[in-house]
Amino acid sequence: MRVSIPWLKTFVNIKQSTAELAETLTMLGLEADMPESASFSGIIVGKVLKADKHPNADRLSLCTVSDGSEEYQVVCGAPNVAADQLVPFAKVGAVLGDDFKIKKTKIRGEVSFGMICSERELGLSDEHEGIMVLNENAKIGSDFADYLSSNLDYLEIDLTPNRPDCMSHVGVAREISVKTGQKLKFTHAEKRHYKKNEVAEILSVNIEDKNLCPRYVAGVVKNITVGPSPDWMRNLLESADQRSINNIVDISNYVLLEMGHPTHIFDYNKVPSQTIGIRKAKKGESVTTLDEEKRTLADQLVITDGKKPIAIAGIMGGLDSAVMDTTSTVLIESAYFDPITIRRGAKSLGMSTEASKRFERGADPKGAEHAYWCVVELLEELAGGEWVPGIIDEYPKKISQNSIILTREKIDILSGCELSDTFVTDTLSHLEIDVKKDDKNKWTCIPPSFRPDLEREVDLIEECCRVYGYDKIHSSFHYGGLYDLAEVDPEDVLSIIANTVSGLGFRQCFLNSLTDEKTSGLMGNDSVAMKNPLSATLSHLRTSLFPGLLETVNYNIRNGNANVNLFEIGKEYNSGKEYSEVYHLTGAMHGEWINKSVHNDELQQSIHSLKGILEALFSRLNIYAVEFSKADHDHYDFGLNISLGKTVIGNFGKLKKEMLDDLDVDTDTIFGFDIELKSVTKEMGFVNKYIAIIPFPTVGRDMNFVLDQHIETGDVTKAMKNTNSKILISVKPVDIFQHESLGQNKKSVTFHLQFQSAVKTLEEAEINSAMNDITAIITKKFHAKLRD
Amino acid sequence: MTINESIASVRKSFRADLDSFPSDLREVELLRSKYFGRKGLLAELYKQLADIPNKEKPKSGQAINALKIELKSEFDQKASLVSGDNQDEDEQSLDLSLPGFPITSGSIHPLQQTLDEIKSIFKSVGFKVAYGPEIEDDYHNFEALNFPKHHPARDMQDTFFVEEDVVLRTHTSNVQIHLMEEQEPPLRYIVPGRVYRNEAVSYKSYCLFHQIEGLFVDKNVSMADLKGILDYFVKRFFGEGIPMRFRPSFFPFTEPSAEVDIWDDKRGKWMEILGCGMVDPNVFDNVGYDSSIWHGYAFGMGIERMTMLKYGIDDIRLFYQNDIRFLEQF
Repeated sequence: MRVSIPWLKTFVNIKQSTAELAETLTMLGLEADMPESASFSGIIVGKVLKADKHPNADRLSLCTVSDGSEEYQVVCGAPNVAADQLVPFAKVGAVLGDDFKIKKTKIRGEVSFGMICSERELGLSDEHEGIMVLNENAKIGSDFADYLSSNLDYLEIDLTPNRPDCMSHVGVAREISVKTGQKLKFTHAEKRHYKKNEVAEILSVNIEDKNLCPRYVAGVVKNITVGPSPDWMRNLLESADQRSINNIVDISNYVLLEMGHPTHIFDYNKVPSQTIGIRKAKKGESVTTLDEEKRTLADQLVITDGKKPIAIAGIMGGLDSAVMDTTSTVLIESAYFDPITIRRGAKSLGMSTEASKRFERGADPKGAEHAYWCVVELLEELAGGEWVPGIIDEYPKKISQNSIILTREKIDILSGCELSDTFVTDTLSHLEIDVKKDDKNKWTCIPPSFRPDLEREVDLIEECCRVYGYDKIHSSFHYGGLYDLAEVDPEDVLSIIANTVSGLGFRQCFLNSLTDEKTSGLMGNDSVAMKNPLSATLSHLRTSLFPGLLETVNYNIRNGNANVNLFEIGKEYNSGKEYSEVYHLTGAMHGEWINKSVHNDELQQSIHSLKGILEALFSRLNIYAVEFSKADHDHYDFGLNISLGKTVIGNFGKLKKEMLDDLDVDTDTIFGFDIELKSVTKEMGFVNKYIAIIPFPTVGRDMNFVLDQHIETGDVTKAMKNTNSKILISVKPVDIFQHESLGQNKKSVTFHLQFQSAVKTLEEAEINSAMNDITAIITKKFHAKLRD
Repeated sequence: MTINESIASVRKSFRADLDSFPSDLREVELLRSKYFGRKGLLAELYKQLADIPNKEKPKSGQAINALKIELKSEFDQKASLVSGDNQDEDEQSLDLSLPGFPITSGSIHPLQQTLDEIKSIFKSVGFKVAYGPEIEDDYHNFEALNFPKHHPARDMQDTFFVEEDVVLRTHTSNVQIHLMEEQEPPLRYIVPGRVYRNEAVSYKSYCLFHQIEGLFVDKNVSMADLKGILDYFVKRFFGEGIPMRFRPSFFPFTEPSAEVDIWDDKRGKWMEILGCGMVDPNVFDNVGYDSSIWHGYAFGMGIERMTMLKYGIDDIRLFYQNDIRFLEQF
């Protein structure tokens, strides 16, 4: 909300600079900002020396502008340009906005060396009907940005939803007065006396449901003249960023911005029924609002003429009953509507108006009457109106403030600082809370009607603390409840895994868990859909980490990284009987595993480099029971499962081209792995007991078998390990040789075997005997031939 | 010749050779073996030891050792002056300026690093760590936290709905409710996690981010205690001496509420880093804690924001783009 400093000054003395005031308000909880300096450069304060008519164009002026040292000819299209004005002047070379550079141009035959700017061109406001005219303090030739910051007479306040009272200049002024001790100079318009309630004869108000409309104040003013508002009002409204329309509309806006209460002014003659009804809209009803939109109503609260809706209560008036230039009699509405009803109504219409914002946060039920008298007074004063004596004040559901007991004990516990009795009493009184000090340690407080947020003792303690100043509260440390450290952080293991995988050469990614419907279905699971997605591309939760990761691999390849190893630890989401969120470790790699250098040739990523990485990973995590086995997967050309015992916990392989195509990935060689982490982290919880180191030497031997091409070395290795030899401790294929001399479809595989006894140094004969056994088994089982 | 005479003779001969020390490397090596080689003069001396009486052996042995040390040090000194180029052939071809083997290095995402760091700061002062669901019911995400239905406070957090009463959590505060429903006070927890906001993606906002929530419930907890823990945190995370301010604000689940800013020199202004406050009595009522006995504080901060301020990152989308040129900087 924009607050005008001149307007605030009509209610409270302000001695601070704008920046200091912003600080004061911010530290009171009204976050106030100096407006961001607009984007321009090279604009200076210029003086218009001469403004003559352009010889070739009626609407243009040919001006002479001085920057204090030189004079420039400038063509200007604004109607308000005149000699002696001080103006923001963009010389040739200045930049407006992001990239609008001012150049020397010829306009209708006259050369223009720069531009005199409007507020809109400077990005300061929407004002574009004329150039911006600066006040007499502006120094010719000085930087316009300096002028702006020293002449800024408004602040933008970002109000929290609990403070409807501060959606007004009086409300903000009250806050300033409480903090600075300056008196608040504001009294409500005087309540008038009348002999006979004449208005009741020409208007009746009928509230259908008092819970939706607890109070409705109305009245009539005759013989008004619609016309422009006086300058003082125009200036105040404009300083608060409210455009002046005409005296009647301005009065309503003025009251709104001054004291925060929304009112509505109808053309009385357009409500010939002389009846106002307040009820819920009926299905199928509609009304055309002031903004000329036809609104189809559902369950909004509406104002009717007894039959049909003429306005949407608390949100926007109707066009048909609006004040026009010819209006002579007006009907004033000043009501208090139920906040929830207004909020739901505005939400369902997708509307948010100055009125609805105030009603939904909670208007002041007493303000309804004050605002009425204020509007009456202004209509008489500014529109020559004649008040029809009386007031209709339907108030079927009294809104009252409960009294709150505030105790010294609670103040001391919660605030943690020393707030004296006097300070508490004074602060609350300044806030217009009715305070009674009952005894030494107790206050009874009744908050004012404009503070619906003050309901409980803590609310009052907050008031005291914020006025005292949060910055004055000292720091302390509460040692209670400490060092009960039985629980470990259940996700520590995720950090350990991340560190391990990154140690193996992978970079960790964080990816969006929202994706589009098609991608979320790629892995064939039930995905969780948003009812109100941000966009079609972010409509579902991911069911796999792969798509995002593959797209990221692709992104990096396109940006010049030929070798990419990425992983993410993140959740997959599924909807089934219940929603599930499961952590996965997913990785993808492309390109070279080892780059070429003067020392070595490059080594491409392969299924085996990935297998080695995973072996190292599980070994580092001390999970030795993991096994890899061939398995078919829809998303791999070829792949393997990763199992722990009988449970498959993950898989890895070369990703299918179809899947990469679906994701618009350019390359067709990406290897990936995906591991469900719960079983892994569970396994990491086990403590592996130490195994004694055997002090006897190991003996290594190579064995070379000629095998049929199709026989897998893994099977041979396994068969060797399965021989009953107690001294064979490891088998590893170390060389594969293929040559026609071996025979057709044959290969020769060299295995390196290690032997060791747990009880003694091995003798040659024992090793030979074990090798003979192995030879016998392997030659038989695989029709293999031992090569010498 | 007695052994002592032999020692004196070797020393004398060495001095003579030292005076006419060769300038050629090969001759230096010949000279080296004349004295120190397997059949050199010093070896001869040791051989003579065998012929002398046992009683004198230790003393003579020490004398030869001393001579060896003396000669070796003098020889080495002279030899080192012969040429700067006294490496053997292998060493000559060793180019130490070559780059090392191309080892592939990985990295930890900056958000993970920040998360780990923040967790460790709070763990060191007795906070435990808890987690909770991202797909959450309306009650835990809003209602129990004192956000009534149709309350304007709900506008503070644009929400993704999965069902009418199921949302993607808008903050980690839902876990406050789970914790208090499951445990009796006192408690002291931090809660990290991913949260969602239905906001257009731009340089300053993303449709999801990560938060760390803090919750402490005990007797006699005050604003001063809240300020104390946050003071400590800011000092540990951003460093001593960074100006911090504590200003009033509003959150439905805390009363009084505050926001904390730190001064950003680069931008020349205060930057908000977190929201906090004293647990609202309505929240205690909702979980069945007696608010006349128990008090507490809660705070919540964005991990992205912390990381951006710490490293001067100005576009939140960089975290989710995962450009290697970005990742490799951390």
